Amino acid sequence: MIFRAVFTKKNYLRYISHLDMVRLFHRTFNMAMIPIKYSEGFNPHPKFSIGNPLSLGVESEEEYMDIEMNKEMDIDEFIERMNKALPEDIQILRAASLEKAPAVSSMIEWSFYELKFMTESEIDLNELSRILQLWLEKDQILMKKMKKKGKGKIEVDVDIKPLIGNLVVKEKDEDGFIVLNSLLKSGEHGNLKPINFLETMERDLFIGIDLESIMLKRLGQYAQENSQIYKPL
Amino acid sequence: MINKIKLDKILKKVEKPARYIGMEKNSIKKNLSEVSVKFAFSFPDVYEVGMSHLGMHILYNLINNEENYVCERVFSPWIDMEEEMRKEGLPLFTLENKEEVRNFDLIGFTLQYEMSYTNILNILDLSNIPFYSKDRDDSYPLIIAGGPCAYNPEPIADFIDLFVIGEGEEVTLELLKLYEENKKENWDKNLFLRKAANIEGIYIPAFYDVLYNEDKTIKEMFPIVEGAPSVINKRIVKNLDEMYTPDKMIVPFIDTVHDRITMELFRGCTHGCRFCQAGMVYRPIREKSPDRLMEIAENLLDSTGYETISLSSLSSCDYTSLELLTKQLIEKYEDRKVGVSLPSLRLDSFSIDVLKEIERVRKSGLTFAPEAGSQRLRDVINKGVSEDDLVKAISYAFKEGWSRIKLYFMIGLPTETDEDVMGIKHLSYLVKDLFFNRPPQERKGNFKLTASASCFVPKPFTPLQWYGQDTIEEFMRKIYLVKNSIKDNKVSFNYHDADLSYLEAIFARGDRRLSKLLVKAWEKGCKYDGWSDLFKFDTWMAAIEETDIDPYFYANRTRKEDEIFPWDFINPGVNKSYLLKEYRRAIEGERTPDCRKGCRACGIQNCEMWGVFN
Repeated sequence: MIFRAVFTKKNYLRYISHLDMVRLFHRTFNMAMIPIKYSEGFNPHPKFSIGNPLSLGVESEEEYMDIEMNKEMDIDEFIERMNKALPEDIQILRAASLEKAPAVSSMIEWSFYELKFMTESEIDLNELSRILQLWLEKDQILMKKMKKKGKGKIEVDVDIKPLIGNLVVKEKDEDGFIVLNSLLKSGEHGNLKPINFLETMERDLFIGIDLESIMLKRLGQYAQENSQIYKPL
Repeated sequence: MINKIKLDKILKKVEKPARYIGMEKNSIKKNLSEVSVKFAFSFPDVYEVGMSHLGMHILYNLINNEENYVCERVFSPWIDMEEEMRKEGLPLFTLENKEEVRNFDLIGFTLQYEMSYTNILNILDLSNIPFYSKDRDDSYPLIIAGGPCAYNPEPIADFIDLFVIGEGEEVTLELLKLYEENKKENWDKNLFLRKAANIEGIYIPAFYDVLYNEDKTIKEMFPIVEGAPSVINKRIVKNLDEMYTPDKMIVPFIDTVHDRITMELFRGCTHGCRFCQAGMVYRPIREKSPDRLMEIAENLLDSTGYETISLSSLSSCDYTSLELLTKQLIEKYEDRKVGVSLPSLRLDSFSIDVLKEIERVRKSGLTFAPEAGSQRLRDVINKGVSEDDLVKAISYAFKEGWSRIKLYFMIGLPTETDEDVMGIKHLSYLVKDLFFNRPPQERKGNFKLTASASCFVPKPFTPLQWYGQDTIEEFMRKIYLVKNSIKDNKVSFNYHDADLSYLEAIFARGDRRLSKLLVKAWEKGCKYDGWSDLFKFDTWMAAIEETDIDPYFYANRTRKEDEIFPWDFINPGVNKSYLLKEYRRAIEGERTPDCRKGCRACGIQNCEMWGVFN
């Protein structure tokens, strides 16, 4: 039996790496006494996987995890016990027991992000919207990417236009950050990192983004069937 | 609180940002405006090292357990973080509330090794706090220090307002209580220090003066403030079962040096190895009961989710109920997949039986510390291990399936000859032969032997405190003697840096005149000296020259028997006359048996060994 859980990763805990998250959950299962399945062999480890790892430094409102359970357990009790043992900035929002489902990591196709940054000089939001719209209407949007070639690496241009779902200018927040929302391709079947997206935007459009000020947050993750996108839970 | 936007900007650039965020399971964040005493616990090394230290977890919980007190943590930022902080003008902050260290009432440094002293200066500098206690007015936090290196506090005496000598579980709260009372009235640092000087185990360096002889040795050290005691007695916790022991510990997000539960089995040691400071200053021996340990284990396992418990002490096999305890732990927690690890093992078949019990799954390597290569030299240092013991124990280990062995040695021990040094090769080859002389069908695993040699550093309050350290050249000559003689791909020989041990020796037995050297070295960019890739020996040598310090005087000089040492004013329980007797026996190569086989009158009062074994 599989438990699928959705959890947050907020504030300073965005600086915890994926590997550290795995260790954190391992200990949390111990503390919360969750009847999780262990692998066989000399060095048994608990069987769970976090779908679509988040880059270090990115916050999230919605991360997915599949857990192989050894025994049936009440979902509400699972959530309660886990949240008691987890830090306040990583909390389970919802969970469900699934009889049969493809691994969440193979389902995820898109991530919806909040992108925040400061600009070197004042910028009008309507003007920004207009520039971004024109940019997205281009036939190709090329991103520089390092690619392995033989022993070394070479720089190649990749068209990221098919990896961009949408892009909206939201607001300028109280701290003076420009806030954008964007749906970007994400997961095992193609991935556009939001930081690379912003770097490319700046390289093409000279908006004056202070790259050191960028703050990223994943707001949601989606699977896709035909032209419909939906949440894996 | 520090500027969080700047912090975020920095955290995105540095390696392992989780070192600086706090928020771990069981960390405690209180409202700083609602407490009466704010204590910043500072470990002068990087997070992963500091978080592996049991003492930090004890004091952190001990202080936070008091409603009106808060303890927050601060570590040395790594080089990249420091650079960014200086660039942004961000002061050093505590992990919990991200509050400037400067705004705390007390900053407590733990002194685990001498080579962390430049990091103490760096922490003060990053906190905008002057180095010298005389330069700090009443508006600055009180700078205090404790831990093993406080047994010779003198090299950093000019920087620290107050030292705690001995075990901190009881005296820390006494001190904070006194602080709280004094802070309520008009805060007067000097008045507070005068009162604190009356607490047993507290040393206020500014209350003493030192006169020197023409040969630079100490003529006299004496109190210059009325009421300051002329001898500082170390603090000892009498009953470890009743002592405050935390039922939880902070669980770091990132991998640390010891990422597991540590449980202390007992304090003190009865073996009397003559090079070992811990073996002398942590006397008398005091055990925790297995019942109490089972209780602590349950609390810690439940509150941390850890799966490994490390049983710590100076010599684990001496614990009276070791077999009972390990059996109970393994049986009780088998289904929770809890593993037990047992460092500091003695060489005997009993130890191996215990190991067999706890390491059911995978046979990791075995580590033994004969310390010296020849029997004669092991007698000199009173390491009660014979070649016969080693042969028996290791043959047994091979029979039980272990195949990787590590042997630890020291080079530069008193009376050492080249023949003794070559004993390292002799023992290593002997172990190899033990493996390959077994019938091929009984050999299990891939044999690998690693012999490691460190350079001996004479330490205060040991019988070898009079002895002059070998020069770097002599160390290297001896090291190469062994290294060049070992030609076998199954046996490898590692050695530690002689340069670093040389500086360690200067500070281990140093005095107040070294403070200017520390400041000079720091000014020239020395920090993280314990990290071999960051250690700048040439810079240190330049600093030594510029401050006119005679390194030979501190490191290499063999002291006269009646010399007054900088640390003589501290009473660790063991008498100087006993240490001298042991020093003479060392030079004669005379063994002194374990205290358990009869009291040697070392000077410790109320020692359990009297009643039990006499």
